[in-house]
Amino acid sequence: MIFGEAYEGIKHIFKRTFTLKYPYQRVQLPKGFRGRHILYLDKCTGCGICAWICPERCITFVPLQDKKEHPQNPENRFPQYWYARCCFCHFCTDYCPTGALDYSPDYELAEYDRDLLLWSPERLARLPTNVGEYRSVFHGEKGNMGVTYERVSEHPTN
Amino acid sequence: MIQTSPREQTIVDTLKSRFPDAIKETRVEGKHRVLIEFEKERFIEIAKFLRDEGFDHVKGITGVDFPTKKIIEVLYYVGSYSKTDLEDLLLMLKTSLPRDKPIIASATPVWESAHFHERETFEMFGVKFEGHPDLRKLLTLDNWEGPPPMLKDIKFPEMSQR
Amino acid sequence: MTNNPNQQTPPPSPVTISQTKDPSTLDVSVGPQHPGSGHVRLLIRVDGDYIVNIDPDIGYVHRGCEKIAEYRTAVSNIPHLERPCIIDAIHLNWAYVKPIEELQKIVVPPRGEYISTIMAEMNRIMSHLYWLAINAGVFSGHTTIFMYAFGDRDLFIELAEMLTGARLTYSFIPPGGPRRDLPTGFVERLTKLLDYFEGRLVEYDRIFFSNPLIIARAKGIGVLKREEAIKLGIVGPNLRASGVKYDVRRVEPYGAYKDLEFNIPTFQEGDSYARFLVRFHEMKESIKIIRQALEKIPKGPIARKAPLIIPEGEATGRVESSRGELTYMVMGDNSDKPYRVKIMNGSFRSLIALPYLLRNVHIADMPIIYGSLDYWPVEADR
Repeated sequence: MIFGEAYEGIKHIFKRTFTLKYPYQRVQLPKGFRGRHILYLDKCTGCGICAWICPERCITFVPLQDKKEHPQNPENRFPQYWYARCCFCHFCTDYCPTGALDYSPDYELAEYDRDLLLWSPERLARLPTNVGEYRSVFHGEKGNMGVTYERVSEHPTN
Repeated sequence: MIQTSPREQTIVDTLKSRFPDAIKETRVEGKHRVLIEFEKERFIEIAKFLRDEGFDHVKGITGVDFPTKKIIEVLYYVGSYSKTDLEDLLLMLKTSLPRDKPIIASATPVWESAHFHERETFEMFGVKFEGHPDLRKLLTLDNWEGPPPMLKDIKFPEMSQR
Repeated sequence: MTNNPNQQTPPPSPVTISQTKDPSTLDVSVGPQHPGSGHVRLLIRVDGDYIVNIDPDIGYVHRGCEKIAEYRTAVSNIPHLERPCIIDAIHLNWAYVKPIEELQKIVVPPRGEYISTIMAEMNRIMSHLYWLAINAGVFSGHTTIFMYAFGDRDLFIELAEMLTGARLTYSFIPPGGPRRDLPTGFVERLTKLLDYFEGRLVEYDRIFFSNPLIIARAKGIGVLKREEAIKLGIVGPNLRASGVKYDVRRVEPYGAYKDLEFNIPTFQEGDSYARFLVRFHEMKESIKIIRQALEKIPKGPIARKAPLIIPEGEATGRVESSRGELTYMVMGDNSDKPYRVKIMNGSFRSLIALPYLLRNVHIADMPIIYGSLDYWPVEADR
């Protein structure tokens, strides 16, 4: 009868719940998450394959502002990314022949000014800043949707 | 090479013997695909014959624009649900229309599933289907007065990569 | 919306037999609105509480996908062509690379096929959970199943994020095979999740599918008989709920489906409740398929390198997506960009059922019928 179905919904009031209090508690993202790109300045040769494969045409080449010598890049061409267009497919990362592009877990890229979304090569070379302290662990209990978030330091091995 | 199994060959031979002057070219491309190119004048008879053979619905109708050859090709993808020995076959019917006057008889009286596909081909390529109960624009704006969008005359150079 | 001020009545409805201009009817515009899935507008003609006929006015999300696809290279087309039905992105991706692989004469290694199959079945479960939450749940007023289904869908999305790196926009299968191999910890977590999800499906049955309120609203409503479904060319779960046992995974096996055993749920009644039950049982079959694929997956390479040029010719490829049979036609002309890409998807082919079923029904039956057809406007408009 109808009370059986209502019980199905009401019984969850008496079960444990868990809420991850974002942005004070952040999730550690898996390896290979497709956030913004990292550029290794000592590996990029300026070949242009990343700009050739990009579906949204968001990569252009500019010279570096500092006067450091990069012997593997004789023409001084480094990619700059326009994140207003990027769809985060990371074909550029996969197709780069020298491995100068990498994945990173940075996804909070919003700005108040649209021009700040044009990332120069030096800005891309900075290391990622998003470090998560909580990791989702699946244990299969039906109470709190089967998954809890635990601090990474508590269970160092997966 | 491609093995022509007897079932596809039977269909092709039956069609060729029934309409010897209307079928231009046939090709069996693998186990599940048969391509038939025909003249547009006897389209309704060919469609009725295929429907009686067991091909009961249209999966899609589309057009391809060839400005250098001055034709628009109209393709019909026909399949069968009711006959189990024909249900894995994808039959492709192809015809060429002159680019300045693309008119062909409508397939909707024969296959009702062609209704919305013909409306879309009409607005995207300018092909007029005579006998369609309700031929008007489907997807573009209501006040779009320009040329049919999918023709190769309209170019978008800013969309091109590199 | 028409710009002609002299037009008093809306255009005639497409698939009804006769249109009579009855002064006792009223034309109501339902939309343009976004019922959880995309912008759509239905122009309905009502007589009291009954809908006389409707005119689907679609095209609000039309972006010219097929035209833009002629301006991108073969690989760069993948993020563009998977966006129309984003909750079912793997199938749109897979059906696009099949004709390209046929033209370039590449054969994907078996391990790559198994990984694509596992990802595709996970995507089918995700898409059916979205359907259950919004189209079947919220449209009939049942918001508890909305919370349940979206919560469980998030667990599958976290697994997809572990495998591909992205939550929803995978771009996972370029021509030649998938991009990444299964990471460590993936198989254990997926197995535990499947066991947990089977228990959750029992709860869904108790709270939604056996609920007498839902049965009263959906049983006997919007009946699509077998002959009508064949004549109109309906696809997917809507077709299987009307008694036609047609599934591309059986008819033209692709991927790893040749080696796997599964049933195809079919019902004979053809009403909205049968369309609900088909998708519920399909989720159970997908769990079975994933378990078998995880056992039988072979070792070896996952992908072949593909050339960058599409040779001259024309090829078609089809898969069974969550909404029906999805067919792509790709025509190449010996350059790196395709000459013509044609998409024939399940939502556009099921569109003809809307004016056919919404005749002489109560207004309150319209959300149930619309929701049971699982019409995704963005996929239909491309």
